[in-house]
Amino acid sequence: MSTIAVTPERFTLVAYDADRIAEITRGLAERLQLTNPIVIEVDERTPLGKMSASVDSASSDATIRLQLESGALEDTKNLTNFSDTRAHLSLGRLLLRASDRLRDDFADAPPDRDLTNAQNTAWKVYCGGRLERLGLAPIQQQYRYDFRNRFGFRDDVDTLFDRLWASENLGWHDLPG
Amino acid sequence: MRQFFPVDDLARDERFVQTNMAKRMADSRSAVGVKKSAKSRGASNRLTPDRHDASEAARSLMHGIMVGEIQALEGAGRTAHDFAAGDGSGDTIPFELKLDMARQAWDEARHVEISAKLSDWMGTELGQFSENTVLFEAACSNDPVLRLAGVNRALEGLAIDVFTQMKEFGQLAGDPFLEFCEDWMLADEVTHVKMGSDWLRKVTENDPDRRAKALEFQQVVDKLFSFGGARGDSDESPIGLARRFRELAGFTDDEVDTIAEMDHDALEERKAAVRLAQEAAGV
Ligand SMILES: [Fe+2]
Ligand SMILES: [Fe+2]
Repeated sequence: MSTIAVTPERFTLVAYDADRIAEITRGLAERLQLTNPIVIEVDERTPLGKMSASVDSASSDATIRLQLESGALEDTKNLTNFSDTRAHLSLGRLLLRASDRLRDDFADAPPDRDLTNAQNTAWKVYCGGRLERLGLAPIQQQYRYDFRNRFGFRDDVDTLFDRLWASENLGWHDLPG
Repeated sequence: MRQFFPVDDLARDERFVQTNMAKRMADSRSAVGVKKSAKSRGASNRLTPDRHDASEAARSLMHGIMVGEIQALEGAGRTAHDFAAGDGSGDTIPFELKLDMARQAWDEARHVEISAKLSDWMGTELGQFSENTVLFEAACSNDPVLRLAGVNRALEGLAIDVFTQMKEFGQLAGDPFLEFCEDWMLADEVTHVKMGSDWLRKVTENDPDRRAKALEFQQVVDKLFSFGGARGDSDESPIGLARRFRELAGFTDDEVDTIAEMDHDALEERKAAVRLAQEAAGV
């Protein structure tokens, strides 16, 4: 089972609970059969929702580091409050990314901070389909709109989206961008 | 039918959760750099497709527009109904002003439908974001002239800024619907501001005190509608001030400059408040 550390341990600007974040992450890691140690850092100073995942090596016991701005875990109906649904989708996506990064065929993937908007979105869509098959409920139309924004509002782009959404076991070079 | 509807009584189904300015300003986080160092100043937050969170930010703004349209519909409808027809003195309004408000309500109803469809197209569920009722609050004054100032000049002026921003977003992203839907609505909003400007002038023609009071109220509302500097000339503000369309709607250059100054002040005040709150919280 993964060891999970969340910072900050106590939130002051948002009503989030570090234990709940760790619990959700543990559940998701188990479903993804990830046993690596996981470090989660939440920036509660900003309401934006940027997030990234990294691994400190490609070995099977590498530490997974997840960084999220507070908006990525927020209930948009009740700002500054935590959303379990949103947290599952955000943390699930980051864990899928981390598990991709542990694969040999993702060795060429640049760090999250260096990804272009298009690369980032394509990877997000590939994660979205897998989250849905894991039993979570990503809103596909949101992902489709993001994808169209990056790749164009055209039929061939929609076809590419559908293929990406349905895919498993892709390598970094299978993703458009 | 009841007159003078308070904001708490707005009818919404269970999908919608309402919030207000006080709650919003109590949120001590900030999307803009609040540190006083030169480096944190001037970073662009303008809502354009090249932002990493462009779609999410556009969805949130589009939902804000949709609920704003509902409130604009409610505001215009109330003004058409709340005041008796008369010569414009006291709490009467000319019958032709009622007709203009009815026409505006008709436009806003169409805008609600367009915005709901656009939200759906972007992947947003109705009620997914909280609804700030501050727009309707500007439509609750007992003086019809203050409503013209608060709603038709301040609120509709904000609509011009927001639609211009979203229209540009749609154009840059190549979204085939967003750009022209925003353009259609923008054309109506310019008319709504113009109606407000014309009626405000006409009804207060022989009452300079009342006019001054209305313009003063408009300034207060304009500053509120800057949402702590979320709207402004600076690139730090996600939404720009649409000077050209405001000019077409009858705002003078001086008036737009005044709004720009208030936006700037609102942004700096908000940054200072967030800085203090974050220092106090030790983050
Ligand atoms: Fe409107
Ligand atoms: Fe309007």
